[in-house]
Parts: sequence; C-alpha cells; structure tokens
Amino acid sequence: MIPAGTAFSLLILALAALAAGLVARRVRLWKSGSEARLVSAVGRTISAVSADKLIAGLKALPRRYLVDVHHVVGRDPYAARMHALAAGGLLGGSLLALAGLIPVLGMSRLFWAVVALAFAAALAGGFMVGRRRLPEKPARLSGGRFQRLPLYLAAYTGGGLLVALAGVLPPLAPQALLASFGWLGLALAAGGGIGLVLQIDRGPMRHAFAGAAHLVLHPRPGRFEGERATALAALDLDAPRLGAATPADFPVNRLIGFDACIQCGRCETACPAFAAGQPLNPKRLIQDLAAAIEPNATNAAYAGSPYPNARPVAGVGGPALPLVGAGAMIHPDTLWSCTTCRACVEECPMMIEHVDAIVDLRRYQTLELGALPLKAAPPLMELRYADETAGRPLAARTDFAAGLTLPLISARPAEKGPAEVLLWLGEGAYELRYGRTLRALVTLLLKAGVDFAVLGPEERDCGDLARRLGDEATFQRLARANIATLARYSFTRILTADPHALHALRNEYRAFGGEYEVVHHTAFLDELAASGRLTLGALGQARVTYHDPCYLGRYNGEIDAPRRLLDRLGLERLEMERSGKRSMCCGGGGGAPVSDIEGERRIPDIRMGQATATGAAIVAVACPQCSAMLEGVTGERPEVADIAELVLMAVEAAKLPAAQVLA
Amino acid sequence: MKIVVLLSAGRHRVSGQPAPVPVELQALRLAVELGGEVTVLHAGPELGALADALGHGVGRLIHRVIADGDDPLPSLMAALTDNPPDLILAGRSGQGGEDAGLLPYSLARALGRPILADAAGLSAGPEAGTLAVEQALPRGARRRVVLRLPAIVTVHPAAPAPLPFAFAAMRRGVIESAPGISAPQAVEVEERPYRPRPKLIAKAAAGASAAERLKAATQAAGGGGTLLVDPSPEEAARAILAHLAALGLRRDG
Repeated sequence: MIPAGTAFSLLILALAALAAGLVARRVRLWKSGSEARLVSAVGRTISAVSADKLIAGLKALPRRYLVDVHHVVGRDPYAARMHALAAGGLLGGSLLALAGLIPVLGMSRLFWAVVALAFAAALAGGFMVGRRRLPEKPARLSGGRFQRLPLYLAAYTGGGLLVALAGVLPPLAPQALLASFGWLGLALAAGGGIGLVLQIDRGPMRHAFAGAAHLVLHPRPGRFEGERATALAALDLDAPRLGAATPADFPVNRLIGFDACIQCGRCETACPAFAAGQPLNPKRLIQDLAAAIEPNATNAAYAGSPYPNARPVAGVGGPALPLVGAGAMIHPDTLWSCTTCRACVEECPMMIEHVDAIVDLRRYQTLELGALPLKAAPPLMELRYADETAGRPLAARTDFAAGLTLPLISARPAEKGPAEVLLWLGEGAYELRYGRTLRALVTLLLKAGVDFAVLGPEERDCGDLARRLGDEATFQRLARANIATLARYSFTRILTADPHALHALRNEYRAFGGEYEVVHHTAFLDELAASGRLTLGALGQARVTYHDPCYLGRYNGEIDAPRRLLDRLGLERLEMERSGKRSMCCGGGGGAPVSDIEGERRIPDIRMGQATATGAAIVAVACPQCSAMLEGVTGERPEVADIAELVLMAVEAAKLPAAQVLA
Repeated sequence: MKIVVLLSAGRHRVSGQPAPVPVELQALRLAVELGGEVTVLHAGPELGALADALGHGVGRLIHRVIADGDDPLPSLMAALTDNPPDLILAGRSGQGGEDAGLLPYSLARALGRPILADAAGLSAGPEAGTLAVEQALPRGARRRVVLRLPAIVTVHPAAPAPLPFAFAAMRRGVIESAPGISAPQAVEVEERPYRPRPKLIAKAAAGASAAERLKAATQAAGGGGTLLVDPSPEEAARAILAHLAALGLRRDG
C-alpha cells in the first residue's frame, strides 16, 4: 500500500461528498418547478411522477445514453472520441482508485497499472478538450468556466496518473523519488479535482448529472423508441395559468433539461434565426432559462456567443420572477424570432426540447398578456372570426382551380362510397404562386384517375399558425371544428401539399380525437408513379436540388419519398450543404413571417445561397411556405418549382419527343 | 376618470360570423391607454362574441339584456345614468347591425352631453376635467380639439389598432348582466333597388392633367382664407373679425 495512493482514494471520497452536496443544492432548485410531465407522440400530457415511469426511465438510461445520445454526438467524431476518453477515463479511473481502499487491491501493482491506464485515457481526452479550444476557441463553444475545463481535467487526470504510476513502479525506481512523485500527483489531483467538482454547481460538469437525470425523465420518451414525437403538447385551457411565465411554471423535468446543456453550440450553428442575425441563440436561451432558476439570478456568468443584435434586457430573474420582458432575462424579440424549425432540437446531443420551451413561453405571452408582435395580432383576430388568417372568404379557397374539375365532398353521391383521398388545400390555395402548384397537383390527380374530393368552403384553417404563435385557444377551436367537419364525410386518406397542415392533421389533431391517415403529395405522387398510374417522361438533364420542408423532414421524418420521386423524373439531383433531417429552414414557419423580427439578413436568402452553391438550375420545394419564402429571393437564382409542377412537366413530357423538355 | 366604451353586436365583414366591431375595440384601446376605470357596455339580446372584448384590455363588461329588435337607447341611458361616466366612447359606426352611426348622437341628445366625432387619439387635457382629442379629418389630416368632460366621443378607424386579444384575460373578465328596458321600436323599412350615384370629381382638377387630379385628390382641402402662424391675440382677433365680416356674419360691424 502506497501512502499517496490511500490519500488519493480518500481525496476521491471527499470530492464525491462535495459533489453530492452540490448536486443536492441543484436538485433543491429543480424542485421549484411544477409537477414533472411527459408528452406523448400525439401531444397528450401525462404526469411523470410515478415509480413505474421513474424505474422505466432508469432502466432505459444506458440505452438512451449509449445509443440515442451517441447517435447525435457521433456526427462529430472528434467530439465523440474526446468525450469517450475524457468521461470514460475520468469516471473509470476515479471509481477504480476509490476501490484502492480495499487493502488487497491497494497493494497490487497490476491494479495500479489499470488505474494508470484509465487516467492516461482521461488525460488524452482532456488533451483533446484543450486542443479543440486552444489556441483559438471556435465561436460556437463557450469560454469562461468552460475554457478552464481542460486545465482542471489535465491536473486531475495527470495527478491521478502520477499517483497510479507511483503504485506501479516500486521495484523499478528509488522509493524516495516515487513517494515525491505520488505526493506531487496527489496535490495536482486535489487542485484539479476541486476545480472540476465546483464546476458541478455552475459550469460544464453540471451537464454530467443533469444530463443523466434528463435522460431518465425526458419529457418526450417516445423519441427514444423511434417516434418522431414532434406534436406540441395540448394545453389545458382551464388551467389557472396558461403557458410559462416563470421558471416555476416549467415542469421539473423541463428544468432538468435546461441544466443538461453543455453549451456545445451545435444548436446555434443550426439555428436559421441566429444565422440571419435575429436576436435568437438557442444555446443562450437555454442558458438564460437554466440561470433563472436560482434566487437573485443574473445572466452574467454566460460566456458563449450572445443573441445576435441583442436587445437590452435587465438580465435578472428568479424561480418566481418573469422570464420574458425587457426587465427580465429574455427579450420578447428573442422569443418571436424562432421559426419552430426544430433544427436545434435535431442537433442537440443532450436531447433538449428548445421548441417546446419557446412555445410554452409564447403561450403565456399570447394567452395571458396578449403581448404579441404588432403584425402577428391581426391574423389571429381574423382566424377567430373568419377561420382564415387573412379574413378571406372560405369559398374563395378553391378559386385557384378555375376551369379544373374540383369535386366537392359535400356533393358526392352516397353510392360512390368513401373517396380515395380528401384533398386538403391549406392556406397556400389563396396565393397566386402556390395556386399554380395546386393546379398541377389537381391536374395530376385527374390524369391518374384518382377518386378525390375537397371540402371547399367547409375547410377552415388548420390552426398551425395560431398554435405556433401560442394562441392555443384558437388552435383548439379550429381543430375541433375541422374534426367535426371531417367526421361528416367518408374518405380513406387525406392528401395535402402543405406539410404544416399535414403535421397538424396527422399528429396534433389526435389529442382532440381526430385520427386520420394523412399523406403528403410527394409521397402520394411517388405511389402513383410506382404503381404505374402516372406515366413519367424524362425531364432532360436539368440539375435540381431539393429543399426539405422542416415540417415534412424533421417533424415527420419524410425525406426519402420526395427524393425518390425526383429521381424518377430523370433529373440530376444535387444535395445542399444541409439536407434531409438536418436541412435548413426557409424562414416561413412558426409565424416568423408575421412576427417579422428584424435581423441583418433574410433566412430565405441564406437558404437560396446554399441552393445556388450546388449549381442546380431548379430548387424543388414541397411546401407553400417554402415556396413563398424562396420565391421572394431577389436577384439571379435558381428557379423555384414545386415537385408537383415538375411531375406534371414529366407527365406531359411523356407524350413529347425526348430532348424537347427543359432543354 | 370613469370611461364607458359602447359595444355593438357586429359581424365579421367577410364571414358574417358574430364578432366585435374593430373600431369599437380601437375605442377600447384608446380608453385603456388613457387610463382610469374602464368598462364596456352593450345592450342587446345576447353577448356572443362580444365577450371577447374582455380579452382586449378591459376587465368588466356590463350587459343589459333586451329583446331582439328593441331600441337599445333607453337601456343604455339607464346604465349610464346609474353611475355617470366622465367619458363615453363609441365607434363611428357598427358593422353588421343597423349601423347608421346615429346611436351616439341620440345618446348625446338624450343625456344632454356634447359629442365629438372621429377621434384618432386621446390624451389628458391641459386642465383637470378636460380631454385633448386628436380628430381624424379627411385625407389623413388631424385636428387637435380640447373638450370639457363629461362628453361622448366617437372613434375613427384611423385610431391605433386594437390591443391584441388575450384569451386568459377574457376568461378572467367579469360580465355583469341585468335586464334592460323593453323598448320595441316600430321599424319602417322601405326597400329600394340600389342606385349607384355619380362620382364627384374635384371641380378644379376636372379635365386637368393626371398629376393635378392626383394632387386634388390627395391634398388636404384648403378652404382658402389666411393662415396665421403663432399670431398675437390682437392680430388673431382682427383676422377673425375681418373674416366674419367678409362672410356677412358680423351684426355690429
């Protein structure tokens, strides 16, 4: 038994006790939150406070960590290796060294060799942490306490390595030298260890235990079972307070989620509002929320990138103090900059639910305070009394189809049985540009002999805009009214070209009793082409790039059908820098176009820049919002065409001699 | 200051569904921003969508229940004389009902109070008991008028947009319902086919160039006369007397 070894084991014990004290302090702060709740895939909320759920979460923890978290972390292989070495070596080495208190082990050279190996791995991990941050720290990483992390890691793991080596080497080196080696190591380890443990309270080490707790109590457990789990939680409109005003209004497991943030900044590099210089940085937002749970909280400790063009706020808070406002932590403009594209959620290795938090905060602003951005209030007012965002007549929704056959489902003879598809037209139908897309879609349905019908003047807005702007009351009214209308007719499936309507009808209406099979037009046209109901010609050698709508790709996981369909058209398909589930938003979601928060650039301009960079001549879109946003980009740029329009061209090309199309 | 805002049973301009009248919600905003004790008042068979006014910044709604087709004036009078307010605000006309825009005038006559039309902004007057009103004139012109309270003011659509609706505020709001005064009115309606009237074009610009017609259509109507900027009181008095004399309105001159 080496004396420094025993002392080291005791040091670890003391550090563990200190850590436990700091963890307990944080846990007490979490208790200021409301009852922990889980959200099902369709947005129903249930209490998480039950022994079964806790045990299920604990059981699932290793798999959630090793599979789901690793899946996200592994997108950056350097970070994955760094974390495996640093965290694995540190925890493994420390636990082993603690076992050195058992005399048999403490005397064994082999044992100390294993400890040395673990600390050597951790030291290598610590070195990787440092190399990533030095000499120049990437903008997405936080400084301050985070910048000191590699130093503490090196001191603690290097010290541990020295102590362990002092236990391995006795016969090979003089006793006095080894003893001084060991004591030096112990001193280093003590310094580094105290530094690390203090970072549990406020600093990078907090994510270690908060992250584990977050994975156990994750508010959307469905995400670990392969569900998309993207429907917003249905709000109980009879609750005493609607939405979240203070940290205490958030369920405990959401507060834990905020603490799980390691400030890696992947969200900020993915955020379209951040890229456009609007005052939103998802990382900073989560940090502000996490900081506010302490009494007399300030936002001063944050050392990452700020909100771009940040509006001044007092930066003070507390568990029962408001979060949003110029006199609080978060400026309202920050809240309204979000396009609810979920890119931050998709990128977050700790599986934090940023969009849920933003919508909860928006709900309070809208439902309790009526504090909406200037231009967001009129559409909600029109929705309340005209069921349409611009107060246009519902009967005018089908005007785009002048001259086409557009059968009304109400006029459908009963003997024809259920319609094969009910075509949900959506908001885009009122727009001249998107009307062209819908005309193409209707023409294709007629050509393929699909038995379809529309609701016509009985179709109300799906409520997507109201819900994203926090007006849950209007959303629920519209959802119930639409469900009642749909219940009167018989159809097999709902077909829509609007991913926002698709998401509402497919996922969000379920919490209100509306269960439908909803298919997006890209998937439906793909089916028609596969089954030979549509004959496609080739569209020449045009180069096309596909822009994934957030509400189709990230929200519903449909990224293959549109690509398959484009490939059937004989086009050369190029992928943008960001595509599929990691695609970038067009800026049209979440009510961002009506909130209209000022930034430096426009999101669609950035996205169009990425499309132009591929060298494609056409940007294929599959959503009315994307179509409107990208068509709004000025200057020289690729053409914007909906996939339905391209398919119609291909169908018409099938009749023409080749090489005449898209020459 | 006690302010009562009158609400009428409106309908949405396109959908025809029952809805508050936007200009009355604008009046409500002016009242809320002016400060004081604000209530809204409606006399009619049922509230329906009018309860939504409680989501636009006011906490108390008084409803006088009368039969469909009854004249609301006696009920409103009764509600307003119980606890007389300093200021009564109304929209310049309703939307969806009979909507002659006459009710505020009948009310003013019945209450014996002055009425000022088309306010686009309100603020406290220079002395206690007065109100500074920014009055909307045609073609975007504004006139500032100081009014002694109590009074009735109707609000113009050029006033600031209504405060955004807050669902929870509506839920919290208090509705005080009481029976109104039955006042059946004999409705004598004559139906005639619509006859489009000839459009009047400003005489000066008729036949002139497009630019001149545009100028005539957009320029504030200048009624001639003399413009004195910051005149001395004597000078101003002389100018007024001269003007009255020119119009032949001076008896002693």
